[in-house]
Amino acid sequence: MSAVSLPALAPVPSPAERKRALEDLLRARRLQADAPPLRGEDRRLRPLATGIAEMDALLGGGFPRGALSEIHGPASSGRTGVLLALLAQTTGRGALAALVDPLDRLDPSSAAAAGAELSRLLWLRGPRVASEEPPPRTLADATVAVATLASSGLFDVVALDLAGASHERRRLPSTTWLRLQRLVEDTTTAVVLVAEEHVACGPGGAALALEAVALRWSGPPGPARLLAALAARARAGRHGLGSADFALAAS
Amino acid sequence: MFGGLHSPRPLPEDGALVAVAREFTPRVEAPTPTPVLLDLSGLGRLWPTPQALGRALLGAAAARAIEAQAALAFSRAAALVLARACPGLTVVPAGGERAALAPLPLDLLGIGAERLLLFRRWGLRTIGDLARLPPVALAERLGPDGPRLAHLARGEDEGLLVPTPLPARFETTLELEWPVDGLEPLAFLLSRVLEPLCAALAARGAKAASLAIELGLVDGTVHARALKPAAPSGEARTWRTLVLLDLEAHPPRDTIARITARAEPSAARATQFSLLDPAQPSPERFAETMARLHEWTAEGRSGSPQLVDTHRPGAFAVSTFAPPPLPRGTCETVPRLPRVALRAFRPPRLAHVALKDGAPAFVSAPGVRGAVAACAGPWRASGDWWDVAFSREEWDVALALRPGQASGGLYRIFLDRLREAWFVEGELD
Repeated sequence: MSAVSLPALAPVPSPAERKRALEDLLRARRLQADAPPLRGEDRRLRPLATGIAEMDALLGGGFPRGALSEIHGPASSGRTGVLLALLAQTTGRGALAALVDPLDRLDPSSAAAAGAELSRLLWLRGPRVASEEPPPRTLADATVAVATLASSGLFDVVALDLAGASHERRRLPSTTWLRLQRLVEDTTTAVVLVAEEHVACGPGGAALALEAVALRWSGPPGPARLLAALAARARAGRHGLGSADFALAAS
Repeated sequence: MFGGLHSPRPLPEDGALVAVAREFTPRVEAPTPTPVLLDLSGLGRLWPTPQALGRALLGAAAARAIEAQAALAFSRAAALVLARACPGLTVVPAGGERAALAPLPLDLLGIGAERLLLFRRWGLRTIGDLARLPPVALAERLGPDGPRLAHLARGEDEGLLVPTPLPARFETTLELEWPVDGLEPLAFLLSRVLEPLCAALAARGAKAASLAIELGLVDGTVHARALKPAAPSGEARTWRTLVLLDLEAHPPRDTIARITARAEPSAARATQFSLLDPAQPSPERFAETMARLHEWTAEGRSGSPQLVDTHRPGAFAVSTFAPPPLPRGTCETVPRLPRVALRAFRPPRLAHVALKDGAPAFVSAPGVRGAVAACAGPWRASGDWWDVAFSREEWDVALALRPGQASGGLYRIFLDRLREAWFVEGELD
């Protein structure tokens, strides 16, 4: 009679082990990702809305997560207004946002007026310099900081403000943006670049080209006149397939 | 059974007698350096008789150069009083506490001088004299203290033994046989230091609020670093990463011969994870991320912007980034109108402004140049006369398009009335 070997049984985890594993999953915020989907549950990540209806409609809901997006346009075309609207929506939901600002351009009063929850906004400021261009290595350090923030998984939006640093930006290796795109692909973070001209946009990311259309004033020229609004046009995609007009109110 | 251990002579150090007691039992009550009270329950298996146990106690004290006297009794009060009163070893059989205490002087009970004087006036000299008084009569004269003293004089206990907690000092040192150079080998050695430290913290239900690292260098100096993350952590892996990141930024100047880690304990974070509320960032990951950004944080260039209560234009503060927990059920955003934002130039750029009919007609500053196509203003603001005064006239100017430009730009400029100079404050975008 030949001996029959039984397959080895997998050890049954103790209740304490199961509890610890569950707590680890909760701590790593992966419970929902690892659990099977519930009936009717939509696992697709929602894009991050800006709160500007025309813009969100143009972008199909907002800026996509896990992708590199960009907002570009000339001076006074509403780039910062759109970015602050995105940060306001994100921090208003209770999520965290980060702004890497190598040229130190953020005005906290404008951010607060846009509705951003400042305590949920991490602001990394570049060194204070009197010259127009940032010192060498500032943008390289800023892209490293963006990579650190994006890979941490703590922030829903990580924005990098490159507007006004065109000359310095061209010194960055061309692979910088490709690496950044690869880095955020597996995260739920949206990385948004703000620049004067097209820089980079990953597959699945949103490229938003802005241009100023008109300025609205409160009345005829004179002492009591105020800037009322900035009307701008946004074109989505590299080839500007869709466009939307929107207005930013003056503070 | 309880034991009292007392040293009539000054101790070499305050905790010496407690250290002797802890060799026998973790349940030691020591409100003062001497005498100390030991809970000796269960030690009968190791020392068959109370006399053997008492001799072992005295032997352990003698090994530490402490001249001690010990008393073993079934009442805590008797053990403590007899340890102070009788030299050598005293063992009281069960039920013999009252008789053993009776001949001893009253001052051994540790009662106050005023009360002692009162008892002497009553003619009481020994503990036995006090034990013979009726408790009710004592209560009538001394209040609630009367029955307590009567019980004490009879060797009867009140309350429970309250063990003195171990001193909260969490420190681990690793002496290296061969000095190490570089952070890669140090990473493995740090685990050997930090893991027992974090295990000790976890055993006490604590986490480390801060960590001091001392690296003894071959040249005899010490490279000391202190880490204090945003939230306490009890994870050895997190601390190791934080230490390595800090040492990357501040490397030791020589090879390392000794590693000492000292943690400041803090109560563990009491956070109930929720399946329904938005997930909050893990403090450990948060601290790790902020440590990785040390180049920005070390120079005070990162944090949360904060508005300050002043009318001074452009005033703000930057505080440490520590997002507060979300209040429950308030995750809906209030819709707001998108607004034009200011991109501030810091410091404001000195400008040359040509005026026409009292309004700016041409602006020239670094990076900003053009004829003014439209403007709004002036808006005057002044204040802070008691400090650094400011007084200015603000204008919002739209510059005319120039050949080769996509946009003329919209800028906020101001005339500093105190310095009589024009500046560009920033771009409206």
